[in-house]
Amino acid sequence: MEKWECLVCGYVYDPAEHEGVSFEDLPDDWSCPDCGVGKDMFEKME
Amino acid sequence: MRYVIVGNGVAGVTAAQTIVRADADAEVRIYGEEPYPYYRRPLLWEFIAGQVEQEALYFRPPEWYAGRGIQLHLGTQVTGFDPGAHWVTLADGTQMTYDRLLLATGARPHIPRCEGTDKQGVFALRTLDDAMAIKAYAQEAPTAAVIGGGLLGLETARALRTAGLEVTVVEFFPYLLPRQLDEEGAAVLQALLEAQGLQIVTGATTGAVLGGACADCIQLQDDRIIAGDLVLFSTGVRSEVALAQAAGLDVSRGVAVDSHLQTSADDVYAAGDVAEFDGRVYGIIPPAIDQARVAAANMVEAGSTTYNGTLPATTLKVAGAELTTLGEGIVEGEEYAELRHADVAGGHYRKLVLHDGRVVGAILLNDQQRAKSVRQLIERGVDVSAHVDRLLDDDFDLQSLISQSGS
Repeated sequence: MEKWECLVCGYVYDPAEHEGVSFEDLPDDWSCPDCGVGKDMFEKME
Repeated sequence: MRYVIVGNGVAGVTAAQTIVRADADAEVRIYGEEPYPYYRRPLLWEFIAGQVEQEALYFRPPEWYAGRGIQLHLGTQVTGFDPGAHWVTLADGTQMTYDRLLLATGARPHIPRCEGTDKQGVFALRTLDDAMAIKAYAQEAPTAAVIGGGLLGLETARALRTAGLEVTVVEFFPYLLPRQLDEEGAAVLQALLEAQGLQIVTGATTGAVLGGACADCIQLQDDRIIAGDLVLFSTGVRSEVALAQAAGLDVSRGVAVDSHLQTSADDVYAAGDVAEFDGRVYGIIPPAIDQARVAAANMVEAGSTTYNGTLPATTLKVAGAELTTLGEGIVEGEEYAELRHADVAGGHYRKLVLHDGRVVGAILLNDQQRAKSVRQLIERGVDVSAHVDRLLDDDFDLQSLISQSGS
């Protein structure tokens, strides 16, 4: 599954570390655990 | 199409990434004055504290650019551009045409007029070079005075403390973070910082930096003396507008941009700390990313995407604590009721602002779990009037109010 990266602080969301929940399926008000910004500050990693 | 980006910070790099994704034939050139590939400024604190090495700062190493076909020119200053002729001039006199130009030149620290700022040991933190100079100087400096108790000042003060210095923060306002916190919440934060070994002086204005060739201390306007072998000014930034000004663009505090992030010149866009949108220069990272994405989309296809401003972040990390401000967190007026709970020893602060029996705003320090519930109470306009006296209790189940509200 695809990893997503916080453009603000570099935190990487890896579904493998979150019981397989894809980034898209996270709730809209989910925020970066490291810096607190919203999902819109993330980009899919290439 | 050739896209020229002036500036290799978060706005320039994000725009380049967006452009190459949207336009397969794009020729993208980034010109950066600093000799380093894109690094994350927030990590400079950890670098000064000695917690990360220089190599780890590079969020986008040179291979990242190369892998996307982005041409990176470091240590290269753009000295001017001609919006009519569509060319830029580099420091060595080279001229190059562009189809679209992005100004992402950022900002530089503003140091207030004050005697003694030319002494050795006086710094401001913006670039990696600044951070390296501060880190080296800090090794020989037993004490530091940090002027400015905003987010950047507090984080820099903590970094210097971690590096072993005795640090005093001097804040002009009567309490810390006046834009994000109220007085009682700031007292809780101040206690957290003091527990980390920082000295905090509020309501104080710096009069002069004293010493010989090197700084020794600062003198406040009320004549108090604060030790500071290293003096760090964290007193705001000013947009880097010289290039735009010389080219005749509309400039006030920043380079004026419209809702497409276009400047007053055709095919010239601006994003990040250099840009002023709707009278506002944000000066923080998330709006710079938003603006860079919109500017890039419009550079690829003019008029395709509109920017409406960026809502201020609701959660900030400060001094290791999480600070959430929701809705009308800081308001005054007799139509509002306030509930507060301050736990200085535990480092928690909760404040709810009520209007007409409903929660309309909140400030929460170190209370992320509750923040989610409070956000829902605000969004759904849940009537809490029957529970006002218990709303802030540790064991009160906010979630049950939300489920009772039915939606």
